[in-house]
Amino acid sequence: MSKEFEPNILGFLCNWCSYAGADLAGTSRMKYPSNLKSIRVMCSGRVDPSFVLEALRKGVDGVLIAGCHPGDCHYQSGNYKTNRRIKLLKKLLMELGVEPQRVRFEYVSASEGQKFASIVTEFVAEMKKLGPNPITVDKK
Amino acid sequence: MTQKVLKVKDNDVLGSTNEFLRHLLSSGKIQALLVPQSIPSKKVVYPVLIADPKKLHADIIAPVLPVATATVVSKITKVQPPSKPIGVVLRSCQIRALIELVKLNQASLTNIVLIGVDCPGTFPINTYAGFPEKKTPTHFIIDAITKKTNDAEQYLRSACKVCKDPIPTNADIILGFYGTDIEKEIIVEAHSEIGKDLLKDLPLEDEKEGNAREKAVKEIREEKDKKRAMFLKEKEGIKGIEKVAEFFDKCVNCHNCRQACPICYCKECLFDSSVFDAEAYKFIRRAENKGLFKMPSDALLFQLGRMNHMILSCVECGLCEQACPNTIPLMEVFIPAAENAQKEFEYHPGKDKTEKVPMIVYREDEFLEVGEK
Ligand code: SF4
Ligand code: SF4
Ligand code: FES
Repeated sequence: MSKEFEPNILGFLCNWCSYAGADLAGTSRMKYPSNLKSIRVMCSGRVDPSFVLEALRKGVDGVLIAGCHPGDCHYQSGNYKTNRRIKLLKKLLMELGVEPQRVRFEYVSASEGQKFASIVTEFVAEMKKLGPNPITVDKK
Repeated sequence: MTQKVLKVKDNDVLGSTNEFLRHLLSSGKIQALLVPQSIPSKKVVYPVLIADPKKLHADIIAPVLPVATATVVSKITKVQPPSKPIGVVLRSCQIRALIELVKLNQASLTNIVLIGVDCPGTFPINTYAGFPEKKTPTHFIIDAITKKTNDAEQYLRSACKVCKDPIPTNADIILGFYGTDIEKEIIVEAHSEIGKDLLKDLPLEDEKEGNAREKAVKEIREEKDKKRAMFLKEKEGIKGIEKVAEFFDKCVNCHNCRQACPICYCKECLFDSSVFDAEAYKFIRRAENKGLFKMPSDALLFQLGRMNHMILSCVECGLCEQACPNTIPLMEVFIPAAENAQKEFEYHPGKDKTEKVPMIVYREDEFLEVGEK
């Protein structure tokens, strides 16, 4: 009767690295769950925590932000700064006990198709365990 | 640091501080003074910018803080700082907030002389406004310092009960009430060159023997630290989406807390923007999804978003809580969140002008572990 819960995952992927990594995973026919919808950003530094909050509010169950490895950001420091911002957001969610696991920051390079696929697989599995996002207004 | 003494005449603490400020303004070295001063009803004090010493009847010891003085200093200095010095009288939390605003490019300290006052705490606006006339600011400051009765302590705002530091730091001049017989003498300290220069010609007496001030400052800091630690221990209970939602369930999304906060300076808050606007069918869909849809629906996200934006700079002044029309005890969430987030980033808001706000800096070797659950 009850269908298995299929989480909605939103990915903010850096154009120069993880977006290409995701592409590689696709062209190499690596398998990963189709729960991920991605938004390509020109740098992980473009991701403001308010995007993450808005996504959670609009019904996304988990948000993945992926950027270039330390030292590789095309704009020098976008990845470091976003890492800090996401750290703070997660810290706050943790403080309030509001499921910090739903937000995740990762480094994925253009050649790491396999890493990308396993991150998504693992993240989806975790969100399945966690269940639907409780702070959404838009979903069942 | 130079330490001097201001004699208090006839036990009139307030009158003596005013005489001091009038002398300061008359010295010609500063062109105006921003002080808390009663409006004619005598019920509330507001920051008032005074150019004429004859118009100065300040209430720097009145135990009330209706608006963030740091925000007022930001207003005065942001477009263009003054060309000659002006003095601003601030409590310690407001100096901390001002330092944060300076770091965030929202205020300038150019030609600003910071005059800090020891702060035994403030009362909610209505509590203060409701006192009979004989309960004067002088009565309360004497009571707060000497602790002869519980008159002052019992009315304190919750933020003040657990104040991070009642003694101003980063001030050019400090008016000290701790460590002296306040009915007779007030301590006046200069902590900078301009501070020293300003005090030079004022009718003050030289410092006394002994280190009563140092000892008293240490004691009050320890006392507040202890109270704050106890508060943090008691308040770790608000955790989990249900409890948090319940905590904010009287929040009507009015955003007064943000308006009152000295740190929330954004001209256009995301939560007032059209980001959350939607077509009617989306609202109906939301209602259909769960069968019902409560509005406004953004209170919790607003709180999370605001916190995420400013918590590292939160100076724990409690003005957000004071502004809440539904008396949500916001400090119970904000103090623990500020404490823990600031610890994580090893950041001390308001402490040091040169310490950069954490969100504009980074270290290449930090937080390399990512993806944690
Ligand atoms: S959040 Fe509240 S306590 Fe913190 S600085 Fe703003 S008004 Fe003061
Ligand atoms: S002032 Fe109180 S009711 Fe208004 S938005 Fe803030 S917490 Fe909510
Ligand atoms: S360019 Fe990829 S994270 Fe900045």
